Amino acid sequence: MTAADVVTAVTLPLGALFAFVGTVGLVRFPTLLGRVHAATKPDTVALILILVGAACQLPDVRVAALLALAALFQMLTVPVLAQTIGRVAYSRGEISEEHMVGDELAEALERGDRPEHRPGRLDEPT
Amino acid sequence: MSADEGGERAVDEATAGSGAAGAEAGRRRTPLQRMLGRLPTIAWLTLMWVILWGDPSPGTVVAGAGVATAGYAAAKLPHLPVGLRFRPLHVLLLVGHIVWDMFASSVQVSVHALWRPERMRGVIVEVPMRTDSDLLLAMVTGGLSLITGSLVIELNREEGVLYVHGTPIESERSVRQLRRQVRRTEKLFVWAFGTAADIEEFEREERREAEREARGAAEALPGAAEADDKEDPR
Repeated sequence: MTAADVVTAVTLPLGALFAFVGTVGLVRFPTLLGRVHAATKPDTVALILILVGAACQLPDVRVAALLALAALFQMLTVPVLAQTIGRVAYSRGEISEEHMVGDELAEALERGDRPEHRPGRLDEPT
Repeated sequence: MSADEGGERAVDEATAGSGAAGAEAGRRRTPLQRMLGRLPTIAWLTLMWVILWGDPSPGTVVAGAGVATAGYAAAKLPHLPVGLRFRPLHVLLLVGHIVWDMFASSVQVSVHALWRPERMRGVIVEVPMRTDSDLLLAMVTGGLSLITGSLVIELNREEGVLYVHGTPIESERSVRQLRRQVRRTEKLFVWAFGTAADIEEFEREERREAEREARGAAEALPGAAEADDKEDPR
């Protein structure tokens, strides 16, 4: 067993575990925003771990570049997805107060002293 | 946000200036300079082409460069006045910080997913940003949303304020930690990719904040924010 095998033996199951727990969170968290957190971020970690594990088993380094590209685009697109869902969820009122400790965005909207932050703008369907 | 991305932009720093100044400089360029300004994007597109073909032979490179140029011309992509610098040491620091944060907070959220998920609380905090560069703000926003447990809900561009949803939140302390994390991420991004002017402005803002706190004129900020600002002289 080489060092690469050890890395794969660690990262692959760990990645699978993160993906699994992320999905469990997606089902079990009570709020939409909590689910967005669970659905997007542990999965990114999982994917990167699995790609690292896979890269260690490749006979050719050139294919590893392809995997790196996959990881890069995952890291570039996931924030966009998470932010879009988060923003729409917020503007649609899909947040449950009982699971929030505080909401300073709502306070800012109430103050209404920010031209950019009139409720109308947030309420627009995105 | 990886080093690749920054490296691609770094070449283009001759007329580094943020925002409007950069655009002005872009308009005054000669055709040759404009072509050179587009070169990094072409190089990046060609690199992706070569990687996707999995074959770095000269033929692939030439074909890739041709397709990239044609695609660039057909799409009429604008030349972005990229006002960014690339500081390898700080970028390493930033990448390390993000990787660690991603890992640690993923573990944290995982624990909550398995153990009493219905008890997980979140919070939306208002965090004033100290930088005013569009690109840096976009990068900070993306970086924060990449880390588990923080998610940018809204960005008030005019005043440079981020509204970040954070989870899991157990106490006042974790709210303060969230604020500190956001501000630290901002600082790391500014130091890794900001131009000298960006850093100067960042530090000016920081001094102004310190002065404001010293005068005790924390205007209309909610209690939690005040407490935090005092604790957070960074």
